[in-house]
Amino acid sequence: MDQIDVHLLQELEHGLLLVPAPFEEMGKRLGLNDDEVVERIRLLKEAGIIRKFRARIDQRKAGITANALVAWNPAGSGGNNLGELIAAFPSVTHCYERMPVPGRWEYTHYTVHHGYSKDQVLDEVRAVAEQTGCRDYTVLFSTREFKRVPNVRMRENGGGTP
Amino acid sequence: MTTPSLPDQTDLAILNVLQDDLPLVSRPWEAIAERLGISETDIISRMKTLKDIGIIRGISPVLESRHLGLHAATLVALHVPEERVDEVAAVISSYQEVSHNFKRDHYYTLWFTIAAQNGEGIRNVLDEILERTGIPESDVLDLPTIKKIKIDVRFSFLPAQIRENTDGPD
Repeated sequence: MDQIDVHLLQELEHGLLLVPAPFEEMGKRLGLNDDEVVERIRLLKEAGIIRKFRARIDQRKAGITANALVAWNPAGSGGNNLGELIAAFPSVTHCYERMPVPGRWEYTHYTVHHGYSKDQVLDEVRAVAEQTGCRDYTVLFSTREFKRVPNVRMRENGGGTP
Repeated sequence: MTTPSLPDQTDLAILNVLQDDLPLVSRPWEAIAERLGISETDIISRMKTLKDIGIIRGISPVLESRHLGLHAATLVALHVPEERVDEVAAVISSYQEVSHNFKRDHYYTLWFTIAAQNGEGIRNVLDEILERTGIPESDVLDLPTIKKIKIDVRFSFLPAQIRENTDGPD
């Protein structure tokens, strides 16, 4: 990743312009033509630096208002591969394995679920529990969103250190 | 929905497609519009409206944290008395190392994520938050990330008539 890539990622962070040739517009600010911009983005994706290039959506404004973090404790339900099993559900947007706090919080796997209603989310969570055999879980519905920004921000939190 | 006429079925189809990887061509909107059987002018004008009403926040790359110097991450839960939630949440959100901060309906009230270059960086932020808010360690769950098994943020936008069937009392 060179300095031009860093500038490119910083520019891209503002979002693509909604004009017919957005990469050309972006290139003008960097002294690149649109083919060069597209090629650099392709290489950044190939290198795994860009994981995905997509729209960021405020799903609540489009009616998907229910959001739950679910903490799972696979101990005793027999599967070492619980994470992979859970992650395979299309409705699961995130699946992380985390360290527990022994004696206070034994959950090790976390999933995030979104839906039009709490009932829809709960139905989904029950389906995951049934199909994975993991019955020890707790559902944490969000009731307020204080902050939600991308976890890597070029200009803010150290992203951009090549 | 404050604007009942929006989004319509075409808008929902656009939102679903825009969650896939953008076609890396010089006219990406035209490429998506073709797939949906609408014109480039139409998709651009619909995207502008979706952006104006706040459903589309922006179209930008998701960056991989470990390639950009952020090698450690954790999820923290705090038990916070109801009357202190706003004040404590404001302190937490003020850190650029914090990307997500939600209140959840549980004894552990506030749930937030911290990402930093290493574990020490995370510990410093968490210690500072606890010191500034006076929340005792016994009211904290620190749940460091061992493994990201899946990240695929994707919302399935359904046409209204299908959605009604899955809608329950909230």
